[in-house]
Amino acid sequence: MQSIFYKDYEVVRDDFANAGTASSDIKRTLSTLGFQSAVLRRIAIASYEAEINLLIHAWGGNINLDVFDNGTVQLIFKDPGPGIPDLEKAMTPGWSTANQKAREMGFGAGMGLPNMKNVSDTFDIQSSSAGTTITMTFTEAPQ
Amino acid sequence: MSKSVIAYTLEHCVRCMKCLHACPTGAISMQDDRIHIDKQDCINCGRCVRACHSKGMVSKGSTLEDIHNYDYTVCIIPTALLSRCQSRQDVEELFYAVKMLGFDEVVEHTDIDAQLMKEARLISESAKEFNFIESFCPVVNELISKKYSILGENVLQLQYPTEICAKQIRKRLPGKNVGIFNLCECEANLALAKYPYGNDEYEVDHALSLTDMFPMIRPNLHKGKIDVSLCIDGLQACSVQSRMQRPDVLVADGFEKISEILDESEFGILNQYHLLTLYSCYNGCIGGHLLWGSSYLVNEFIDKLKDVPKKPVSDLPFDELFSDAYLKNEDTRTFAEKMSAFQKVNAILEELPGYDCGACGKQTCRSMAEEIVNGTRSLKSCRILNKGDG
Repeated sequence: MQSIFYKDYEVVRDDFANAGTASSDIKRTLSTLGFQSAVLRRIAIASYEAEINLLIHAWGGNINLDVFDNGTVQLIFKDPGPGIPDLEKAMTPGWSTANQKAREMGFGAGMGLPNMKNVSDTFDIQSSSAGTTITMTFTEAPQ
Repeated sequence: MSKSVIAYTLEHCVRCMKCLHACPTGAISMQDDRIHIDKQDCINCGRCVRACHSKGMVSKGSTLEDIHNYDYTVCIIPTALLSRCQSRQDVEELFYAVKMLGFDEVVEHTDIDAQLMKEARLISESAKEFNFIESFCPVVNELISKKYSILGENVLQLQYPTEICAKQIRKRLPGKNVGIFNLCECEANLALAKYPYGNDEYEVDHALSLTDMFPMIRPNLHKGKIDVSLCIDGLQACSVQSRMQRPDVLVADGFEKISEILDESEFGILNQYHLLTLYSCYNGCIGGHLLWGSSYLVNEFIDKLKDVPKKPVSDLPFDELFSDAYLKNEDTRTFAEKMSAFQKVNAILEELPGYDCGACGKQTCRSMAEEIVNGTRSLKSCRILNKGDG
Protein backbone atom coordinates (compact mmCIF):
# COMPACT_ATOMS: atom_id res chain seq x y z
CA MET A 1 0.00 0.00 0.00
CA GLN A 2 1.61 3.17 -1.20
CA SER A 3 0.64 6.76 -0.50
CA ILE A 4 -0.09 8.56 -3.73
CA PHE A 5 -1.45 11.84 -2.40
CA TYR A 6 -0.68 13.75 0.75
CA LYS A 7 -1.92 17.06 2.11
CA ASP A 8 -1.46 18.92 5.37
CA TYR A 9 -3.86 21.35 7.04
CA GLU A 10 -3.43 23.56 10.06
CA VAL A 11 -6.34 24.29 12.38
CA VAL A 12 -6.16 27.33 14.65
CA ARG A 13 -7.72 27.32 18.10
CA ASP A 14 -11.06 29.18 18.39
CA ASP A 15 -10.88 30.27 14.76
CA PHE A 16 -14.63 29.89 14.29
CA ALA A 17 -14.68 32.01 11.15
CA ASN A 18 -12.74 29.29 9.34
CA ALA A 19 -14.47 26.33 10.93
CA GLY A 20 -14.82 23.62 8.32
CA THR A 21 -12.49 25.01 5.67
CA ALA A 22 -10.06 22.11 5.94
CA SER A 23 -12.89 19.58 5.78
CA SER A 24 -14.32 21.38 2.78
CA ASP A 25 -11.01 21.13 1.00
CA ILE A 26 -10.64 17.45 1.90
CA LYS A 27 -14.13 16.80 0.58
CA ARG A 28 -13.48 18.70 -2.67
CA THR A 29 -10.09 17.12 -3.21
CA LEU A 30 -11.40 13.60 -2.78
CA SER A 31 -14.40 14.43 -4.92
CA THR A 32 -12.11 15.61 -7.74
CA LEU A 33 -10.23 12.40 -7.26
CA GLY A 34 -13.41 10.56 -8.10
CA PHE A 35 -14.41 8.97 -4.80
CA GLN A 36 -18.02 7.78 -4.69
CA SER A 37 -20.57 9.76 -2.72
CA ALA A 38 -21.18 7.05 -0.08
CA VAL A 39 -17.58 7.08 1.17
CA LEU A 40 -17.28 10.86 0.63
CA ARG A 41 -20.25 11.39 2.90
CA ARG A 42 -18.61 9.39 5.69
CA ILE A 43 -15.30 11.21 5.28
CA ALA A 44 -17.03 14.60 5.23
CA ILE A 45 -18.87 13.91 8.48
CA ALA A 46 -15.82 12.53 10.30
CA SER A 47 -13.36 15.18 9.15
CA TYR A 48 -15.73 18.00 10.04
CA GLU A 49 -16.34 16.62 13.55
CA ALA A 50 -12.63 16.13 14.13
CA GLU A 51 -11.69 19.53 12.73
CA ILE A 52 -14.20 21.23 15.01
CA ASN A 53 -12.75 19.28 17.95
CA LEU A 54 -9.29 20.69 17.21
CA LEU A 55 -10.82 24.14 17.11
CA ILE A 56 -12.99 24.09 20.22
CA HIS A 57 -11.43 21.49 22.54
CA ALA A 58 -7.75 21.35 21.64
CA TRP A 59 -5.25 24.13 21.26
CA GLY A 60 -5.52 23.91 17.51
CA GLY A 61 -3.75 21.16 15.60
CA ASN A 62 -2.89 19.54 12.31
CA ILE A 63 -4.73 17.35 9.84
CA ASN A 64 -2.94 14.95 7.51
CA LEU A 65 -4.76 13.58 4.52
CA ASP A 66 -3.27 10.52 2.86
CA VAL A 67 -4.68 8.67 -0.12
CA PHE A 68 -3.29 5.22 -0.87
CA ASP A 69 -3.13 3.48 -4.22
CA ASN A 70 -5.73 0.88 -3.19
CA GLY A 71 -8.30 3.62 -2.61
CA THR A 72 -7.95 3.85 1.16
CA VAL A 73 -8.13 7.32 2.68
CA GLN A 74 -6.34 7.98 5.95
CA LEU A 75 -6.97 11.03 8.10
CA ILE A 76 -4.78 11.86 11.10
CA PHE A 77 -5.80 14.62 13.51
CA LYS A 78 -3.04 15.64 15.86
CA ASP A 79 -3.13 18.29 18.56
CA PRO A 80 -0.62 19.50 21.18
CA GLY A 81 -3.00 19.22 24.12
CA PRO A 82 -4.62 19.45 26.60
CA GLY A 83 -5.62 15.80 26.08
CA ILE A 84 -8.81 13.96 26.99
CA PRO A 85 -8.78 12.96 30.69
CA ASP A 86 -11.41 10.23 30.44
CA LEU A 87 -11.51 8.59 27.02
CA GLU A 88 -14.28 6.20 27.91
CA LYS A 89 -16.57 9.06 28.89
CA ALA A 90 -15.60 11.04 25.79
CA MET A 91 -16.70 8.14 23.61
CA THR A 92 -20.17 8.14 25.22
CA PRO A 93 -22.83 9.74 22.98
CA GLY A 94 -24.11 13.02 24.40
CA TRP A 95 -21.21 13.59 26.81
CA SER A 96 -19.56 16.94 26.17
CA THR A 97 -17.16 19.38 27.78
CA ALA A 98 -17.68 22.13 25.22
CA ASN A 99 -17.69 25.62 26.69
CA GLN A 100 -20.54 28.11 26.48
CA LYS A 101 -19.03 29.95 23.51
CA ALA A 102 -18.87 26.81 21.42
CA ARG A 103 -22.38 25.72 22.37
CA GLU A 104 -23.80 29.08 21.46
CA MET A 105 -22.38 28.57 18.00
CA GLY A 106 -24.14 25.24 17.64
CA PHE A 107 -21.18 22.97 18.42
CA GLY A 108 -20.62 20.65 21.34
CA ALA A 109 -23.56 18.24 21.15
CA GLY A 110 -21.43 15.42 22.50
CA MET A 111 -21.69 13.33 19.36
CA GLY A 112 -18.28 14.07 17.85
CA LEU A 113 -16.18 11.07 18.80
CA PRO A 114 -19.00 8.49 18.70
CA ASN A 115 -19.96 9.75 15.24
CA MET A 116 -16.39 9.53 13.97
CA LYS A 117 -16.14 5.98 15.18
CA ASN A 118 -19.46 5.10 13.57
CA VAL A 119 -18.69 6.43 10.12
CA SER A 120 -15.02 5.35 9.82
CA ASP A 121 -13.74 1.89 8.88
CA THR A 122 -10.92 1.96 11.41
CA PHE A 123 -10.74 4.37 14.31
CA ASP A 124 -7.87 4.83 16.74
CA ILE A 125 -7.51 7.42 19.47
CA GLN A 126 -4.46 8.04 21.66
CA SER A 127 -4.58 10.75 24.29
CA SER A 128 -2.34 12.08 27.03
CA SER A 129 -1.66 15.50 28.52
CA ALA A 130 0.82 15.98 25.66
CA GLY A 131 -1.98 15.83 23.13
CA THR A 132 -4.46 13.66 21.26
CA THR A 133 -4.03 11.79 17.98
CA ILE A 134 -6.96 10.35 16.10
CA THR A 135 -6.33 8.11 13.11
CA MET A 136 -9.20 7.08 10.89
CA THR A 137 -9.27 5.18 7.63
CA PHE A 138 -11.98 4.89 5.04
CA THR A 139 -12.18 2.44 2.19
CA GLU A 140 -14.45 2.71 -0.75
CA ALA A 141 -16.74 -0.28 -1.08
CA PRO A 142 -15.70 -2.27 -4.16
CA GLN A 143 -17.90 -1.52 -7.14
CA MET B 1 -26.39 16.10 -20.22
CA SER B 2 -27.74 19.57 -19.92
CA LYS B 3 -27.79 22.23 -22.54
CA SER B 4 -27.16 25.89 -21.96
CA VAL B 5 -29.51 28.68 -22.94
CA ILE B 6 -26.97 31.33 -22.12
CA ALA B 7 -25.17 32.61 -25.15
CA TYR B 8 -22.22 34.87 -25.74
CA THR B 9 -23.01 37.40 -28.39
CA LEU B 10 -20.87 40.43 -27.95
CA GLU B 11 -18.42 41.30 -30.72
CA HIS B 12 -16.84 44.12 -28.75
CA CYS B 13 -16.23 42.03 -25.62
CA VAL B 14 -13.42 43.64 -23.65
CA ARG B 15 -12.18 40.29 -22.31
CA CYS B 16 -12.43 41.41 -18.71
CA MET B 17 -13.08 37.78 -17.69
CA LYS B 18 -15.76 38.78 -15.21
CA CYS B 19 -18.03 36.04 -16.55
CA LEU B 20 -15.25 33.48 -16.29
CA HIS B 21 -14.75 34.17 -12.60
CA ALA B 22 -18.48 34.40 -11.91
CA CYS B 23 -19.15 30.87 -13.11
CA PRO B 24 -19.65 28.44 -10.19
CA THR B 25 -18.99 25.34 -12.27
CA GLY B 26 -16.07 26.56 -14.35
CA ALA B 27 -18.11 26.17 -17.53
CA ILE B 28 -16.75 29.36 -19.09
CA SER B 29 -13.37 29.58 -20.75
CA MET B 30 -11.74 31.73 -23.36
CA GLN B 31 -10.42 30.17 -26.51
CA ASP B 32 -9.06 31.99 -29.53
CA ASP B 33 -10.08 35.31 -28.01
CA ARG B 34 -13.71 34.32 -27.69
CA ILE B 35 -15.69 33.33 -24.64
CA HIS B 36 -16.79 29.73 -24.80
CA ILE B 37 -19.54 28.16 -22.64
CA ASP B 38 -19.29 24.46 -22.00
CA LYS B 39 -22.86 23.29 -22.42
CA GLN B 40 -22.23 20.18 -20.33
CA ASP B 41 -21.11 22.09 -17.27
CA CYS B 42 -23.39 25.13 -17.49
CA ILE B 43 -26.14 25.04 -14.86
CA ASN B 44 -27.92 28.13 -16.21
CA CYS B 45 -27.64 30.04 -12.97
CA GLY B 46 -27.20 33.27 -14.94
CA ARG B 47 -24.38 34.61 -12.79
CA CYS B 48 -22.31 35.37 -15.89
CA VAL B 49 -25.21 37.30 -17.38
CA ARG B 50 -25.28 39.50 -14.28
CA ALA B 51 -21.50 39.76 -14.10
CA CYS B 52 -21.07 41.07 -17.66
CA HIS B 53 -21.13 44.84 -17.58
CA SER B 54 -21.22 45.14 -21.36
CA LYS B 55 -24.27 42.88 -21.73
CA GLY B 56 -22.50 40.37 -23.91
CA MET B 57 -24.01 37.37 -22.15
CA VAL B 58 -27.68 36.89 -22.87
CA SER B 59 -30.24 34.27 -22.04
CA LYS B 60 -32.02 33.11 -25.13
CA GLY B 61 -35.66 32.15 -25.14
CA SER B 62 -37.87 31.09 -28.04
CA THR B 63 -39.84 33.57 -30.08
CA LEU B 64 -43.55 33.62 -30.84
CA GLU B 65 -42.88 32.68 -34.46
CA ASP B 66 -43.64 29.03 -33.84
CA ILE B 67 -47.12 29.79 -32.55
CA HIS B 68 -48.55 29.22 -36.04
CA ASN B 69 -47.20 25.69 -36.29
CA TYR B 70 -49.83 24.33 -33.91
CA ASP B 71 -53.59 23.85 -34.08
CA TYR B 72 -53.99 24.80 -30.45
CA THR B 73 -51.59 26.75 -28.27
CA VAL B 74 -51.35 26.95 -24.50
CA CYS B 75 -49.23 29.33 -22.45
CA ILE B 76 -48.12 28.32 -18.96
CA ILE B 77 -47.77 31.24 -16.56
CA PRO B 78 -45.09 30.88 -13.90
CA THR B 79 -46.37 31.17 -10.35
CA ALA B 80 -43.70 33.78 -9.63
CA LEU B 81 -45.22 36.15 -12.19
CA LEU B 82 -48.35 36.38 -10.06
CA SER B 83 -46.21 38.17 -7.47
CA ARG B 84 -46.27 41.20 -9.76
CA CYS B 85 -50.06 41.36 -9.42
CA GLN B 86 -51.50 43.50 -6.66
CA SER B 87 -55.13 42.44 -6.90
CA ARG B 88 -57.60 40.01 -8.40
CA GLN B 89 -58.16 42.46 -11.23
CA ASP B 90 -54.42 42.54 -12.02
CA VAL B 91 -54.35 38.75 -12.32
CA GLU B 92 -57.38 38.63 -14.60
CA GLU B 93 -56.01 41.39 -16.81
CA LEU B 94 -52.59 39.76 -16.95
CA PHE B 95 -54.05 36.46 -18.15
CA TYR B 96 -56.02 38.32 -20.80
CA ALA B 97 -52.97 40.23 -22.00
CA VAL B 98 -50.91 37.06 -22.25
CA LYS B 99 -53.68 35.35 -24.20
CA MET B 100 -53.67 38.28 -26.63
CA LEU B 101 -50.15 37.28 -27.66
CA GLY B 102 -52.01 34.70 -29.73
CA PHE B 103 -52.66 31.77 -27.40
CA ASP B 104 -55.84 29.73 -27.30
CA GLU B 105 -55.52 29.14 -23.59
CA VAL B 106 -53.54 30.47 -20.63
CA VAL B 107 -52.98 28.23 -17.62
CA GLU B 108 -51.23 28.39 -14.26
CA HIS B 109 -50.12 25.58 -11.95
CA THR B 110 -50.52 26.81 -8.38
CA ASP B 111 -52.54 23.69 -7.57
CA ILE B 112 -49.65 21.46 -8.67
CA ASP B 113 -47.12 23.57 -6.74
CA ALA B 114 -49.25 23.12 -3.66
CA GLN B 115 -49.46 19.36 -4.07
CA LEU B 116 -45.71 19.03 -4.61
CA MET B 117 -45.03 21.07 -1.47
CA LYS B 118 -47.47 18.96 0.50
CA GLU B 119 -45.94 15.67 -0.68
CA ALA B 120 -42.41 16.90 0.05
CA ARG B 121 -43.36 17.77 3.60
CA LEU B 122 -45.10 14.45 4.16
CA ILE B 123 -42.09 12.50 2.93
CA SER B 124 -39.65 14.59 4.93
CA GLU B 125 -41.47 13.82 8.16
CA SER B 126 -40.02 10.32 7.92
CA ALA B 127 -36.44 11.65 7.80
CA LYS B 128 -34.25 10.66 10.74
CA GLU B 129 -30.74 12.09 11.09
CA PHE B 130 -31.01 13.07 7.45
CA ASN B 131 -32.36 15.93 5.45
CA PHE B 132 -34.25 15.76 2.22
CA ILE B 133 -33.71 18.50 -0.30
CA GLU B 134 -36.71 19.78 -2.17
CA SER B 135 -36.18 22.23 -4.91
CA PHE B 136 -38.24 23.50 -7.78
CA CYS B 137 -35.15 25.46 -8.73
CA PRO B 138 -33.28 23.72 -11.55
CA VAL B 139 -30.09 25.59 -10.61
CA VAL B 140 -30.06 23.94 -7.20
CA ASN B 141 -30.64 20.48 -8.65
CA GLU B 142 -27.97 20.94 -11.30
CA LEU B 143 -25.55 22.39 -8.78
CA ILE B 144 -25.99 19.35 -6.55
CA SER B 145 -25.39 16.96 -9.41
CA LYS B 146 -22.25 18.84 -10.49
CA LYS B 147 -20.67 19.89 -7.21
CA TYR B 148 -22.38 18.21 -4.29
CA SER B 149 -22.55 14.62 -5.44
CA ILE B 150 -22.71 13.42 -1.82
CA LEU B 151 -26.21 14.87 -1.59
CA GLY B 152 -27.54 13.06 -4.67
CA GLU B 153 -29.65 10.71 -2.58
CA ASN B 154 -31.01 13.54 -0.42
CA VAL B 155 -32.77 15.17 -3.35
CA LEU B 156 -36.46 14.40 -3.57
CA GLN B 157 -36.93 13.27 -7.14
CA LEU B 158 -39.96 15.43 -7.75
CA GLN B 159 -40.88 16.47 -11.26
CA TYR B 160 -40.86 20.15 -12.00
CA PRO B 161 -44.35 21.72 -11.78
CA THR B 162 -44.34 23.07 -15.35
CA GLU B 163 -43.51 19.63 -16.69
CA ILE B 164 -46.38 18.04 -14.74
CA CYS B 165 -48.68 20.85 -15.83
CA ALA B 166 -47.77 20.41 -19.50
CA LYS B 167 -48.38 16.68 -19.27
CA GLN B 168 -51.86 17.30 -17.87
CA ILE B 169 -52.62 19.69 -20.72
CA ARG B 170 -51.67 17.05 -23.29
CA LYS B 171 -53.84 14.48 -21.51
CA ARG B 172 -56.76 16.87 -21.60
CA LEU B 173 -56.41 17.53 -25.32
CA PRO B 174 -55.72 14.15 -26.95
CA GLY B 175 -55.21 13.90 -30.68
CA LYS B 176 -54.69 17.62 -31.12
CA ASN B 177 -51.52 19.27 -32.38
CA VAL B 178 -50.98 21.20 -29.15
CA GLY B 179 -48.15 23.68 -28.75
CA ILE B 180 -47.16 24.36 -25.14
CA PHE B 181 -45.27 27.56 -24.39
CA ASN B 182 -43.83 28.33 -21.00
CA LEU B 183 -43.26 31.90 -19.87
CA CYS B 184 -40.11 31.88 -17.75
CA GLU B 185 -38.96 34.06 -14.86
CA CYS B 186 -35.31 32.96 -14.95
CA GLU B 187 -32.61 31.49 -17.16
CA ALA B 188 -32.81 28.14 -15.42
CA ASN B 189 -36.47 27.75 -16.21
CA LEU B 190 -35.82 28.73 -19.81
CA ALA B 191 -33.33 25.90 -20.02
CA LEU B 192 -35.62 23.58 -18.15
CA ALA B 193 -38.57 24.18 -20.42
CA LYS B 194 -36.38 23.54 -23.41
CA TYR B 195 -34.49 20.51 -22.14
CA PRO B 196 -35.91 19.45 -18.76
CA TYR B 197 -33.73 16.45 -18.06
CA GLY B 198 -31.27 16.84 -20.84
CA ASN B 199 -33.34 14.52 -23.01
CA ASP B 200 -35.60 15.31 -25.92
CA GLU B 201 -38.82 13.94 -24.51
CA TYR B 202 -40.11 17.06 -22.89
CA GLU B 203 -43.67 18.19 -22.67
CA VAL B 204 -43.09 21.92 -23.02
CA ASP B 205 -42.41 22.90 -26.63
CA HIS B 206 -41.10 26.43 -26.25
CA ALA B 207 -39.67 28.55 -23.48
CA LEU B 208 -40.35 32.28 -23.61
CA SER B 209 -38.37 34.82 -21.66
CA LEU B 210 -40.53 37.19 -19.62
CA THR B 211 -38.14 40.02 -20.38
CA ASP B 212 -38.63 39.48 -24.12
CA MET B 213 -42.40 39.07 -23.86
CA PHE B 214 -43.26 41.84 -21.45
CA PRO B 215 -43.13 44.66 -24.04
CA MET B 216 -45.72 42.72 -26.04
CA ILE B 217 -47.86 41.89 -23.03
CA ARG B 218 -47.93 45.42 -21.69
CA PRO B 219 -50.04 47.13 -24.39
CA ASN B 220 -52.85 44.64 -23.74
CA LEU B 221 -52.98 45.09 -20.00
CA HIS B 222 -56.18 46.77 -18.74
CA LYS B 223 -58.02 45.86 -21.97
CA GLY B 224 -59.89 42.78 -20.88
CA LYS B 225 -60.23 40.04 -18.31
CA ILE B 226 -60.24 36.28 -18.07
CA ASP B 227 -61.70 34.40 -15.12
CA VAL B 228 -58.86 32.89 -13.08
CA SER B 229 -58.86 30.75 -9.98
CA LEU B 230 -55.72 30.16 -7.93
CA CYS B 231 -54.59 27.78 -5.24
CA ILE B 232 -53.34 30.10 -2.53
CA ASP B 233 -51.20 27.34 -0.93
CA GLY B 234 -49.37 27.00 -4.22
CA LEU B 235 -48.46 30.68 -4.31
CA GLN B 236 -46.15 29.99 -1.37
CA ALA B 237 -44.00 27.81 -3.61
CA CYS B 238 -42.28 30.79 -5.19
CA SER B 239 -41.62 32.99 -2.16
CA VAL B 240 -39.17 32.39 0.67
CA GLN B 241 -40.97 34.42 3.30
CA SER B 242 -44.16 32.48 3.05
CA ARG B 243 -42.38 29.11 3.12
CA MET B 244 -40.98 29.39 6.63
CA GLN B 245 -43.66 27.65 8.57
CA ARG B 246 -42.26 24.57 10.19
CA PRO B 247 -39.24 24.53 12.50
CA ASP B 248 -37.81 21.43 10.83
CA VAL B 249 -37.87 22.99 7.36
CA LEU B 250 -34.93 25.16 6.40
CA VAL B 251 -35.63 27.63 3.63
CA ALA B 252 -32.71 29.43 2.03
CA ASP B 253 -32.23 31.74 -0.90
CA GLY B 254 -29.39 33.28 -2.85
CA PHE B 255 -26.62 31.39 -4.60
CA GLU B 256 -23.89 31.98 -2.00
CA LYS B 257 -26.14 30.99 0.86
CA ILE B 258 -27.36 27.80 -0.72
CA SER B 259 -23.80 26.78 -1.56
CA GLU B 260 -22.93 27.24 2.10
CA ILE B 261 -25.94 25.23 3.18
CA LEU B 262 -25.19 22.40 0.77
CA ASP B 263 -21.66 22.30 2.18
CA GLU B 264 -22.99 22.05 5.72
CA SER B 265 -25.50 19.44 4.71
CA GLU B 266 -22.64 17.33 3.31
CA PHE B 267 -20.97 17.47 6.72
CA GLY B 268 -24.17 16.12 8.24
CA ILE B 269 -24.54 19.07 10.60
CA LEU B 270 -28.00 20.16 9.47
CA ASN B 271 -29.65 16.92 10.48
CA GLN B 272 -32.09 18.63 12.81
CA TYR B 273 -33.80 19.89 9.67
CA HIS B 274 -35.78 17.30 7.78
CA LEU B 275 -36.27 19.30 4.66
CA LEU B 276 -34.13 21.89 2.93
CA THR B 277 -35.96 24.12 0.49
CA LEU B 278 -33.49 26.03 -1.61
CA TYR B 279 -33.75 28.82 -4.15
CA SER B 280 -30.93 30.22 -6.22
CA CYS B 281 -32.57 33.66 -6.49
CA TYR B 282 -33.03 36.01 -3.56
CA ASN B 283 -36.51 35.77 -2.06
CA GLY B 284 -37.21 32.67 -4.14
CA CYS B 285 -38.63 32.54 -7.65
CA ILE B 286 -40.26 35.93 -7.17
CA GLY B 287 -36.69 37.25 -7.44
CA GLY B 288 -36.25 35.59 -10.85
CA HIS B 289 -33.95 37.65 -13.01
CA LEU B 290 -36.27 37.88 -15.99
CA LEU B 291 -38.92 39.48 -13.80
CA TRP B 292 -38.94 43.21 -13.38
CA GLY B 293 -38.88 45.28 -10.19
CA SER B 294 -37.50 44.36 -6.80
CA SER B 295 -38.67 41.14 -5.23
CA TYR B 296 -38.41 42.81 -1.83
CA LEU B 297 -41.38 45.00 -2.74
CA VAL B 298 -43.71 42.18 -3.70
CA ASN B 299 -43.38 39.88 -0.72
CA GLU B 300 -46.94 40.44 0.46
CA PHE B 301 -48.56 39.59 -2.86
CA ILE B 302 -50.23 36.45 -1.50
CA ASP B 303 -52.31 38.50 0.93
CA LYS B 304 -53.37 40.80 -1.87
CA LEU B 305 -54.59 37.88 -3.98
CA LYS B 306 -56.80 36.41 -1.24
CA ASP B 307 -60.01 37.37 -3.07
CA VAL B 308 -59.14 35.50 -6.26
CA PRO B 309 -61.53 32.49 -6.57
CA LYS B 310 -60.00 29.46 -4.88
CA LYS B 311 -58.78 26.40 -6.66
CA PRO B 312 -58.26 23.14 -4.72
CA VAL B 313 -54.83 21.51 -4.34
CA SER B 314 -54.40 19.05 -7.19
CA ASP B 315 -54.70 15.37 -6.46
CA LEU B 316 -52.46 13.74 -9.04
CA PRO B 317 -51.28 10.15 -8.60
CA PHE B 318 -47.78 9.62 -7.20
CA ASP B 319 -46.14 8.45 -10.40
CA GLU B 320 -47.08 11.69 -12.13
CA LEU B 321 -45.12 13.64 -9.54
CA PHE B 322 -41.85 11.75 -9.39
CA SER B 323 -39.02 11.38 -11.79
CA ASP B 324 -35.80 9.42 -11.79
CA ALA B 325 -34.49 11.14 -14.85
CA TYR B 326 -31.96 13.50 -13.36
CA LEU B 327 -28.93 13.55 -11.08
CA LYS B 328 -27.09 10.65 -12.61
CA ASN B 329 -23.41 10.16 -12.09
CA GLU B 330 -21.94 9.72 -15.53
CA ASP B 331 -18.30 9.14 -14.61
CA THR B 332 -17.53 5.59 -15.71
CA ARG B 333 -13.76 5.65 -15.18
CA THR B 334 -12.23 3.09 -12.85
CA PHE B 335 -10.52 4.15 -9.64
CA ALA B 336 -7.07 3.54 -11.12
CA GLU B 337 -7.86 5.72 -14.14
CA LYS B 338 -9.19 8.56 -11.99
CA MET B 339 -6.18 8.30 -9.74
CA SER B 340 -3.66 8.42 -12.54
CA ALA B 341 -5.39 11.43 -14.12
CA PHE B 342 -5.43 13.15 -10.74
CA GLN B 343 -1.71 12.56 -10.22
CA LYS B 344 -0.84 13.93 -13.65
CA VAL B 345 -2.96 17.03 -13.00
CA ASN B 346 -1.28 17.55 -9.63
CA ALA B 347 2.17 17.28 -11.18
CA ILE B 348 1.31 20.00 -13.73
CA LEU B 349 -0.36 22.06 -11.03
CA GLU B 350 2.93 22.30 -9.16
CA GLU B 351 4.51 23.99 -12.14
CA LEU B 352 1.69 26.54 -12.49
CA PRO B 353 1.73 29.70 -10.33
CA GLY B 354 -1.58 28.96 -8.58
CA TYR B 355 -2.96 32.51 -8.84
CA ASP B 356 -6.16 31.40 -10.59
CA CYS B 357 -5.91 34.70 -12.47
CA GLY B 358 -7.81 33.48 -15.51
CA ALA B 359 -5.45 35.15 -17.97
CA CYS B 360 -4.95 31.88 -19.86
CA GLY B 361 -8.68 31.71 -20.41
CA LYS B 362 -9.37 29.02 -17.82
CA GLN B 363 -10.94 29.82 -14.48
CA THR B 364 -8.41 28.09 -12.25
CA CYS B 365 -4.90 26.70 -12.50
CA ARG B 366 -6.42 23.29 -11.82
CA SER B 367 -8.75 23.46 -14.82
CA MET B 368 -5.77 24.63 -16.88
CA ALA B 369 -3.74 21.67 -15.63
CA GLU B 370 -6.57 19.34 -16.66
CA GLU B 371 -6.48 20.80 -20.17
CA ILE B 372 -2.72 20.35 -20.32
CA VAL B 373 -3.08 16.71 -19.28
CA ASN B 374 -5.74 16.27 -21.98
CA GLY B 375 -3.31 17.72 -24.45
CA THR B 376 -5.54 20.61 -25.54
CA ARG B 377 -3.24 23.26 -24.08
CA SER B 378 0.34 23.56 -23.00
CA LEU B 379 2.27 25.35 -20.29
CA LYS B 380 3.00 28.02 -22.88
CA SER B 381 -0.57 29.30 -22.48
CA CYS B 382 0.21 30.47 -18.95
CA ARG B 383 0.74 34.22 -19.10
CA ILE B 384 2.49 34.34 -15.74
CA LEU B 385 5.08 31.68 -16.55
CA ASN B 386 5.71 33.27 -19.92
CA LYS B 387 5.60 36.92 -19.04
CA GLY B 388 7.67 39.04 -21.36
CA ASP B 389 7.37 36.47 -24.15
CA GLY B 390 4.35 37.97 -25.83
